[in-house]
Amino acid sequence: MAPFAVVAPASPDEAIAELRAAGPGEAVVLAGGTDLLFDLEDSRVGPRRVVSLRRLPWRTLDWNGPSLTIGSTLPLRAIETDPEVRRRIPGLYAAVRAVGSVALRHQATLGGNLGRSAPASDLIPILLVLDAEVDLLGPSGERRIDVDRFVLGSRRTALAPGELIRSIRIPEARPSAYLWQRVRPFHDISHMAVAVAFSAARSAWRVAVSGFPPRPLLVPEAEEALGGPEPGPEAVARAADALAAHAPIVADRRASEAYRRQLVRPLLQRAVQAIRAGSGGR
Amino acid sequence: MTEPSVHLTINGRSMAIAGVPPEERLLDTLRWRLGLKGTKEGCRTGGCGACTVLRDDRPALSCLTLTHDAEGTSITTIEGLEGDPVGEKVRAAFDAAGALQCGYCTPGFVMALTGLLREGGSSIPLGELLEDLGGNLCRCTGYAAIVRAVRSAREALA
Repeated sequence: MAPFAVVAPASPDEAIAELRAAGPGEAVVLAGGTDLLFDLEDSRVGPRRVVSLRRLPWRTLDWNGPSLTIGSTLPLRAIETDPEVRRRIPGLYAAVRAVGSVALRHQATLGGNLGRSAPASDLIPILLVLDAEVDLLGPSGERRIDVDRFVLGSRRTALAPGELIRSIRIPEARPSAYLWQRVRPFHDISHMAVAVAFSAARSAWRVAVSGFPPRPLLVPEAEEALGGPEPGPEAVARAADALAAHAPIVADRRASEAYRRQLVRPLLQRAVQAIRAGSGGR
Repeated sequence: MTEPSVHLTINGRSMAIAGVPPEERLLDTLRWRLGLKGTKEGCRTGGCGACTVLRDDRPALSCLTLTHDAEGTSITTIEGLEGDPVGEKVRAAFDAAGALQCGYCTPGFVMALTGLLREGGSSIPLGELLEDLGGNLCRCTGYAAIVRAVRSAREALA
């Protein structure tokens, strides 16, 4: 591991100044560290400065009517233990619980998961179906961007140099579910996952897949096939077909393409059933 | 470059630890700098739970924590459970159930369960408690006795 300095700015402005002062690749942002530390150990990144966000006042969770704003450095465990999250956005509860273990979730953050943008992220697909937005803070001020446009690819985001994720906004609490398949039920990487939500405001379904490169994606063909608020068995079957046909599934070292295309059907069907039953997943 | 000292409260004692390199993990500080070898190194990737400690009373993975980033926090290791009302009950439950074979995973299980029971007490359904221990692995696969210990620790707090 290459030597670096750990700095912990006391304010967002100081943190941004710290990042601006560093040259390209010289500084990395540390939130929970549960993903970044692998890169530091493998020297895949060789930063001179590790900028820890631990002193920033962003460990927040605020409900405002139907919308929920989550501070980027709030540990995931605080999201799953919020009773309103479990009741009003069951899919978010299920997705958060799909990440690591309880101890890991006391460290890992939603901002870190987005900023690191792993191809098999368990949180990006549920944020996609909730039409979540990312609030960014940087040298030229604030801006808001959809999660779908924030995530560019495997480990690639729309973050500009010196920019930080301040919070994630979910505009509407939705009936939702997150279902995954993996080798080990807990503390493993999903090799196929499906997130589903129904927006009452738009009277429309949202369906996303995750688990394979380059990034989690919405699949509009499956959304349209589900149709209205009460899809019958035929609509669900058509949506499962559409998902298997149109999701841009590829093979990687964890699963073959054919296996993944088989898996998406039951995962979608179970997700719709879970939403009907008022649960977020398993 | 001289590193600033790290200020931690370890098992109730506050200390300033000098000379910690920036890349050092809390796990290594505890074991090799402070001699607290109850905390074990398993996978070193956050996947096995053997290195679990309490950080500000919550379970944390010491292998995925930079010591410098733990500045100002309070760390409890298996050695610091003496006199802790929940921790002592958990330890006694593992003891009574014979919930260890080689014993390597035991400190991690005891710390993780202590953290969970402190958070939710005996009101957590047993199934959820067991699910929440899914981040701790026993290489000997001695889970039957561990499940008995979890059940009796939870009942002892009711």
